Amino acid sequence: MQKVIIIKYAELFLKGKNKGYFEQAFFVNIERALKGFKHTLRSPSGRYIVADFEEAEEEGILNALKKVFGAHTIAAGYETSSDLEDIFEAAKLLAPESGTFKVVSHRGDKKYPLNSIEISREIGGKILEAFPCLTVDVHSPQHVIRVDIRENGAALVSGKEEAGAGGMPVGTGGKGLLLISGGIDSPVAGYMMAKRGMKVDCLHFHSYPYTNEQAKEKVVDLAKILSGYTLGTKLNVVSVTHIQEKIHENCAPELMITLLRRFMYRIAERYAKKIGAQCLITGESLGQVASQGMTSSNAVVKDLPVLRPLVGFDKNEIIERSVKIGAYETSILPFEDCCTVFLPDFPAIRPKLSAIEKEEEKLNVEELIEEALSTLEVISL
Amino acid sequence: MIYLDNAATTKPDEESAERAIVYLKEKYFNPSGMYKEGFALSRELKSAREKLVSHIADPAAYDLTFTSCGTEADNTAVFGYARRGNAIATAGEHAAVLSPFSELKNRGIAETRLAPLEKDGRANIEKLLDLVDEKTTFVSVMHVNNETGAINDINALAKRVKAKNPRVIFHSDGVQAYGKIPFRLCKEVDLYSLSAHKIGGLKGTGALIRKKTLPIRPYLFGGGQESGWRSGTENVFGIKTLEYAAEKKFASLEADYARLNEYRETLFSALDKDIFVRISPKSGTPYILTVSARGLRGEILLHMADDKGLVLGTGSACSSNEKARYSHVALACGYDKETADGILRLSFSPTTKKEEIEEAAKILNACARELASRTK
Repeated sequence: MQKVIIIKYAELFLKGKNKGYFEQAFFVNIERALKGFKHTLRSPSGRYIVADFEEAEEEGILNALKKVFGAHTIAAGYETSSDLEDIFEAAKLLAPESGTFKVVSHRGDKKYPLNSIEISREIGGKILEAFPCLTVDVHSPQHVIRVDIRENGAALVSGKEEAGAGGMPVGTGGKGLLLISGGIDSPVAGYMMAKRGMKVDCLHFHSYPYTNEQAKEKVVDLAKILSGYTLGTKLNVVSVTHIQEKIHENCAPELMITLLRRFMYRIAERYAKKIGAQCLITGESLGQVASQGMTSSNAVVKDLPVLRPLVGFDKNEIIERSVKIGAYETSILPFEDCCTVFLPDFPAIRPKLSAIEKEEEKLNVEELIEEALSTLEVISL
Repeated sequence: MIYLDNAATTKPDEESAERAIVYLKEKYFNPSGMYKEGFALSRELKSAREKLVSHIADPAAYDLTFTSCGTEADNTAVFGYARRGNAIATAGEHAAVLSPFSELKNRGIAETRLAPLEKDGRANIEKLLDLVDEKTTFVSVMHVNNETGAINDINALAKRVKAKNPRVIFHSDGVQAYGKIPFRLCKEVDLYSLSAHKIGGLKGTGALIRKKTLPIRPYLFGGGQESGWRSGTENVFGIKTLEYAAEKKFASLEADYARLNEYRETLFSALDKDIFVRISPKSGTPYILTVSARGLRGEILLHMADDKGLVLGTGSACSSNEKARYSHVALACGYDKETADGILRLSFSPTTKKEEIEEAAKILNACARELASRTK
């Protein structure tokens, strides 16, 4: 009998002929999440089994696995022979001392002498004898013991199944470049895309000396939190200080944000293409701030799609997800990622494209973009 | 690098640390140990206490408790003696006093009252005295304001407070004054906090000087070290470094005071008056010159100066959160937000050189002019 952690995958079973590709990616991602833990990983049909780990590290491993996209459920348990006595020994270790329970069995090996109902009955009966304070409740039990008879003469016995992160293995859904600020929304947007299997790299704009090192460090911390789900990410940092100064010097103040945003998109698209990302990801939510309306102001992105996974979310829904992924406490630290020095008192709400383009003519857009890109700093997380 | 943020921390005095290193390498014993090596250390701590007190007060009347920092000394004072009725401080106190005051209120221990400041950062004495009544148990007024450098005449203040209510315990946060300002404690001051790393000692060492007649009111409980005043094994190395550093500081206190006063004025007169306005009063500590580049952001100037090799402090931060953005002291002094936004603090130590002062003025003028032109 051996202590194991059993992972079942989520949507992968829907895949047809290319299922193997997804399974392999999932396997690799689990390995990456468990880097640093002593363990072995096997994947007999439809199950991923982590074994040979230190018992003291079990909780750490479970927490790491909960961040791996593609997992449907995660459960700690035992691997034994399919001998009923062995299964019972394992079940005894998992059984609660009191309350209600039921045994749920699954028989992968159809040649096994007992069918699943009989297995449940046998094991359940033995547990009842061993723990007189327990009672059976097949409809809404407090505890469940799962017995899974495998085809190779082995059985997996587990207790409570915890929900996995769901979604698709990261890396199976292409690559995107996330525009990350120090706020609540963008890390959640990155999480949402990673959940659907996208590999996510990050791009952050800073404007030192108008913003400080703490603000940048906060973004590094957020990208690190995100990288727990994306299994590594690159944080690319570009300075837009000079662009802000030039806009401030030459253009209408109420268009500052719109103009700066257009620069950011242009820089992002150019850089995304360079690193082989197929889309941009932003944390925009419709109408949240003046510059996030349905205007044509973002029309500078010519070739790549801009994915806005939060577009239909209310702020509360975004905050809820931010808390869930563990980014919220960092997101609300009071460091400005965008200096308020250049902020207009009243930003234009629905600026006309013609007005924007007229203002842009006052700037050497190409030169400013190249200059900004020359400040690029890449931080691997 | 020109380092002008000495009010935040000073470079440890090498000579003092070298002298004390024997307590790190050889005399590492626990001063509470019953063996003679431990006992020898406890006697050394006793003499360190007396010496540190003797610089500013009579060791026959005052004792000293070592703490881990100035903040702990302030907390010990507030939570030890503001136990009922009302407690009074000024609006310009350090957070190490103001935050414990908020806690007094939150925990329902005592009513708290804050006296307003004068424009230069001193306590408004009349208004403070108005707050004192028969239910006042504790008054805390900092000796030197850490942001403006203004000096409060705590002796005179303590006398007037006690004339109104003799049962009040009077505390002063002396972190920016001890070893820097010539003075002696009068008998009306009951408690006085100090910190080692502001005068060439090490971070992690502070002390609370206290009247011997006060009842023991520990903040930390445990093994009963410091005669029960502060449990926890004493930081002998830090304490001895403080003792030696203080000895040096007090030996040259008057000369440093006069020289730095001259430097401070040299620096201010070299600053571009079209940009910088003075916040620090002339009568304040010579160790601090606070100015405001009105209309510019102090923190941005700080970053620019930093990039040019000048390290200084600021009273504001880049934050949209008003509480995080403006210094509570600047607002309590009555400065508008534009002035509060541009506040910079230059603070000196006896090791500051005249050339550094001149260079600092040049860098600041250049940064401010550049920023003004970039954001105009």
